[in-house]
Amino acid sequence: MIDLDRLIEQANAMAPFPASTVRLAQMAADPDCNLTDVAEVIAYDQALTLKLLRGANSAASASATPVTSVQEAVSRLGTSRLVALAVASAARPQLCQQIPAYGLDEGALWRHSVAAAVAAETMPNFCGTTVPSEVFTAALLHDVGKLIMGRFLSPDDLRFIAEARDVDHLSQLEAEALILGVHHGELGGLIAQHWDLPPRVVQGIIYHHNPTEGHDVVCDFTYLANEVAKQIEAGIEEGRGDFAISSEVTARLLTSPAQLDTLCTIATGRFAEVSLRYNAV
Amino acid sequence: MNTADFDFVRKYIREAAAIVLEPGKEYLVESRLQTLAREEKIATVDELVAKMRLNPQGDLARKVVDAMTTNETSFFRDLHPFEALKKTLLPELLKRRAGDRQLSFWCGAASTGQETFSVLMTIAEHFPELLGWNLSYLATDLCSKALARCTNGRFSQLEVNRGLPAQLMVKYFTRQGAEWEFRPELRKRVDFREMNLVRDWHRMPPLDIVFLRNVLIYFDVETKKAILAKVRKVLRPGGYLLLGGAETTFNLDDAFERVVLEKTTCYRVKNES
Repeated sequence: MIDLDRLIEQANAMAPFPASTVRLAQMAADPDCNLTDVAEVIAYDQALTLKLLRGANSAASASATPVTSVQEAVSRLGTSRLVALAVASAARPQLCQQIPAYGLDEGALWRHSVAAAVAAETMPNFCGTTVPSEVFTAALLHDVGKLIMGRFLSPDDLRFIAEARDVDHLSQLEAEALILGVHHGELGGLIAQHWDLPPRVVQGIIYHHNPTEGHDVVCDFTYLANEVAKQIEAGIEEGRGDFAISSEVTARLLTSPAQLDTLCTIATGRFAEVSLRYNAV
Repeated sequence: MNTADFDFVRKYIREAAAIVLEPGKEYLVESRLQTLAREEKIATVDELVAKMRLNPQGDLARKVVDAMTTNETSFFRDLHPFEALKKTLLPELLKRRAGDRQLSFWCGAASTGQETFSVLMTIAEHFPELLGWNLSYLATDLCSKALARCTNGRFSQLEVNRGLPAQLMVKYFTRQGAEWEFRPELRKRVDFREMNLVRDWHRMPPLDIVFLRNVLIYFDVETKKAILAKVRKVLRPGGYLLLGGAETTFNLDDAFERVVLEKTTCYRVKNES
């Protein structure tokens, strides 16, 4: 077992999110939130305004006419995308770090996070149910727990986890829970709570590998975004990988299982372009 | 971990707690004992096992059993058994026991208390009248350290994130520094006791609902049979046994019958209504 008290301490020691980003995430979770209020919160934060305008004018978002005001950015991108961009901007320094314990080079976690955000952006066209706004942020931050977990995993822990997977055929998540008493989803949830992100974002992060236990559609969507992100990365590198996705989740979200393949193809096609927007903030 | 040490530990655990550790589980034993060695300021697992061999009845050996029997738990684990409790079992027992206004519960693998407190919250939320009955709640576990945490009723943020709905957290827990404390007036209704399921069941009252979830999986067939036979003896007529999702009485004790309630299965003694 890992030292849970120290893990919790480390999660709570992460640099806080800017107040304007937290406020935006909370506003986006409110079904009554209006675009004028969102624009007002952004406008009060000059650094955020500049970043979001850069994002809104990136190749993925720009039209012939450049976006010059926050109001235009909000109406062009929509609240959910803007909030995801603001969150991306706040979390990027951390998400770009290398995490050797998980085999992640510098920038690898960031790319995977952006791929999940791109998947989340693509999902509304394929899902039979509305994608809640919290999904965009949860998708982007779903693996944030690896940042802390990666610092604590000793070579012995990694060996025990590998053996639990090999000998008892456990998933990475189950193996972490058995050996460490906590898994990276739970740790990510703690970090999101520390950042004051809305409860459904926290739920989506905690249950991104075991969505049925989360009893919230946000968990299903975050799970799907993670799985599609893996396909995006595999597709870019060497063709589509094996898609071992829960049929329970696809039945809950998609109008037909065949849509999954189309979703992956379109998300893969959009990845390069949309990631420019995230890389611009 | 070397084979001789692994064989010694697994034989010891089998005798002390009837838990079966098959070959291949060396990684699990080593990982748990490594944590214990760190806590006890013992340099290596080899050294820890050597100390244990010198004094097999000592405190360290006891801690080894605790380390090997502590397992995952969460609030409202699997959710469906609690739905069954709310929708079927408690309404049925409420009618059946209306005469003597007496209900008794037992959680046989209480661990750090999440299952017990989930049952209490279900009662308080949906059947508050039961709190005025003669309600007895027994929660037992083999691990004294886990039981101490039950009595204390405090949970970290990580633990309350596991399955506890936010509205129940706010209603039944109060923040104490970095921890969350379960309401003392409900906690005090529980009789927490140390108990080894494979030893004698002293002072076990007649029971209406028995939670024995995710514990039989660790035992061999004979031990499972012996435990189920003992459960049968303490269940009151019309009482229910709840097991884990991967557990059953089938082929172990045919005196039980399955009662399927939506997405969960309960067991009761046959020929009873």
